[in-house]
Amino acid sequence: MKIPESILKKVEKPGRYTGGEWGEVIKNPENVDIRFAFCFPDTYEIGMSNLGIRILYSILNDREDTWCERAYAPWADMEEQMRAHGIPLCTLESGTPLSECDFVGFSLQYELCYTNMLNMMNLAGIELESKNRKNDDPIIVCGGPCTYNSEPVADFVDICLIGEGEAELPELMDIYKKHKKMGFDRAAFLREVSKQESMYVPSLYDVEYNGDGTIRSFTPKYDDVPAKVRKRIVKDMDTAPFPKNLVMPFIQTVQDRIVLEVYRGCIRGCRFCQAGLVYRPVREKTPEVLNEQAKILADATGYSEITLSSLSISDYSCIEKLTDELLPWTNERKISLQLPSLRVDSFTKELMDKISTIRTGGITFAPEAGTQRLRDVINKNVEKADLLRACRVAFEGGKTQVKLYFMQGLPTETDEDLDGINELAQSVIDEFYATPGRAKKSPQVTLSAACFIPKPFTPFQWEKQFDMEELLRKQKYLTGKITNRKIRYNYHDAKVSRIEAIFARGDRKLSAALLEAAKRGMRLDGWEEFFDYDKWMEVFEYCGIDPAFYANREFGEDEILPWDNIDIGVTKEFLLRERHKAYGEKTTPNCRLQCSGCGANKLGGERTCCPKMQ
Amino acid sequence: MLPENAVNIKIRIKFSKTGSLKFISHLDLQRTMQSSFLRSKLPIYYSEGFNPHPKVVFSPPLSVGVSSLTEFVDVKMLADVAPAEIMEKLNASFPKGLCALECYTPTAKFTDIKWGLYEVKFELTGEIPEDICQKAQAALTAEEIIIEKFTKKGEPKRVNIAEGMRFESAALEGSVLTVTAKLSCDDASFVNPKYIGETLTCAMPEVFTGAEEETCRMAVYLADGETLFK
Repeated sequence: MKIPESILKKVEKPGRYTGGEWGEVIKNPENVDIRFAFCFPDTYEIGMSNLGIRILYSILNDREDTWCERAYAPWADMEEQMRAHGIPLCTLESGTPLSECDFVGFSLQYELCYTNMLNMMNLAGIELESKNRKNDDPIIVCGGPCTYNSEPVADFVDICLIGEGEAELPELMDIYKKHKKMGFDRAAFLREVSKQESMYVPSLYDVEYNGDGTIRSFTPKYDDVPAKVRKRIVKDMDTAPFPKNLVMPFIQTVQDRIVLEVYRGCIRGCRFCQAGLVYRPVREKTPEVLNEQAKILADATGYSEITLSSLSISDYSCIEKLTDELLPWTNERKISLQLPSLRVDSFTKELMDKISTIRTGGITFAPEAGTQRLRDVINKNVEKADLLRACRVAFEGGKTQVKLYFMQGLPTETDEDLDGINELAQSVIDEFYATPGRAKKSPQVTLSAACFIPKPFTPFQWEKQFDMEELLRKQKYLTGKITNRKIRYNYHDAKVSRIEAIFARGDRKLSAALLEAAKRGMRLDGWEEFFDYDKWMEVFEYCGIDPAFYANREFGEDEILPWDNIDIGVTKEFLLRERHKAYGEKTTPNCRLQCSGCGANKLGGERTCCPKMQ
Repeated sequence: MLPENAVNIKIRIKFSKTGSLKFISHLDLQRTMQSSFLRSKLPIYYSEGFNPHPKVVFSPPLSVGVSSLTEFVDVKMLADVAPAEIMEKLNASFPKGLCALECYTPTAKFTDIKWGLYEVKFELTGEIPEDICQKAQAALTAEEIIIEKFTKKGEPKRVNIAEGMRFESAALEGSVLTVTAKLSCDDASFVNPKYIGETLTCAMPEVFTGAEEETCRMAVYLADGETLFK
């Protein structure tokens, strides 16, 4: 059922709930075998910006037998109305209750959205725990970066797709269709799914724990269920399906533009960065293909901005060629080109002259740490001189404002490293005044500091997060150090970072906490208005869970980690090697300079910079 | 500025905004319109500057939740395109709920719009008095129609809107009462169509409280309230 107009009139931003956008796919339910509700467990504005969903929406709908529709987390005002009027959560396209779909898929992008997933299931009247769902209930499937350690949601999801969904989802649909024809049996279906490459069915594994809460064993329940699940990748990005049409949101979204995915993976290997490792190996698209896809998307959408997307755009081997192909026609059609995530070593006058958005917008760099020592520990491979040179280029071009991203609480960090953040900012101010031809204005340096969160599948996965007291002390310490009023210092809420750390390295025992949080009506945890640290602490206490066990404990190197059953390509041995190099303050060259044997090359892939497997 | 000698043709497009689109704010309508124009590939004139965008001007905004059969947008074209072609290309690019109805060279200015004809449909749930149409007419043609507005500071203010309200008709069909009235669009005496419902609820709370209402702008007029704006 569609949301009645009387309710739409009562809520903020009703355009979130109407559907009917340009580009939405409408099919006749009589003509399809599979109904798939693709959910993003956060608001419409955030979910509609996600490139992965856009790709998978189009792949599923390209199948004649499948109708994929969208659903997002309602804002609190709408949730209240829905609960008051007994309206279940429905898809935007047809207003079909999620509970009537064959599949309900969730893209899990960040840990704080777990409660939204449960709340959406609850709003749809779907049993939260997989063991309580009946044969005809929807299959809950999830993907996205959080799936690399999906143990905290293990009790709720039926299937986790590990890696890139382009190939996995169609295969899953085929298996489902086969089972539906045979007379669907949930257990038999899940059992067959578990045997496929990259499809992880948490309910088919038993976990045993040691007395101290660490994992003793992790075993498949049946002989034919694989002990380890390997990530799947798209081998050739050039021929990978890309969405030729996008759903055009009626209301302003976070990423309201064409997102052109240039390559996957990252050559850098920063030791805190999960994305840089789980998306390996690096696989590029060719500039010719990208140029063609950009044109198709510009025609189909009517967007007037294109952003070149990747983890570090200046590391694209053909960036020069690509911008040369794109700029003539985008300039002519008044489409602006954006290059986010520029590294300081790639920020040049030529680039600034060429790309108008760089000319006009603010500039942001991410040195991540304040001293060279700590930057070597995290393998950032950026030097102070690079940063100052890049800033000088920007200042010569008339800019006066620079934003710098840092991380606080990194392993081995001391107060000296925090001093370094302030000193680095001061050097940028000095560089401004030393630049001939700078603007006759006062400079402004904004420091934005996140708290370090140890993430699975990084060399820092064993590290502890500093406890709350120390995180807050660090923030206070730096606040006290910064006396120059041209330097502004913003920092993330340490409480939010701690909850993220708990779930990032969580195991199955945390499912109980999530279930309890859902029962208490907690959701929209990514939103300041709703995030409540004390409530979380109450939940953990109620469930007998010690949050410090997950967030503030150094995990043992010989310990079985909750995510050890997942194989992302990059090996645990490599991560350990990198961890020890970090303590030796030794950097690792990027993949293009030299292969460091991370192991991702065993996954194959075209246009990688990896040596081929022997 | 336009380059010298460039073709520069001002075009007015009359369009309707219904269905899902009625829940889209004016600002979001502008965004939707802009991407529709780009998809249509019509030779629209772009503003200059750092962030070029199609130069379009809209007739006065609608409240969110109100549909309309008579909205206008002015654009400049850099080539002479036949009206039929403009309509065809736009309608192929518009989302469901937007529809180009007419396209021509404008003469009147948007500021000439002084009156709007609105149709409000009330879905009544309770007992309906036999003479409801007469009663509605009486309420909407009273010498004084007092409603409560809020000032910018949020303080309530009582205002007489009788001057800006011209009742046209009331008709009952089943449980649906349809009221039409011309309301002032003038800046000084602007009357929001939601005041029709508020006035009726005030006069007959037992009939109108909680009634669903659906509002549509049907037409807009010049100062005389009779001549259709074009």
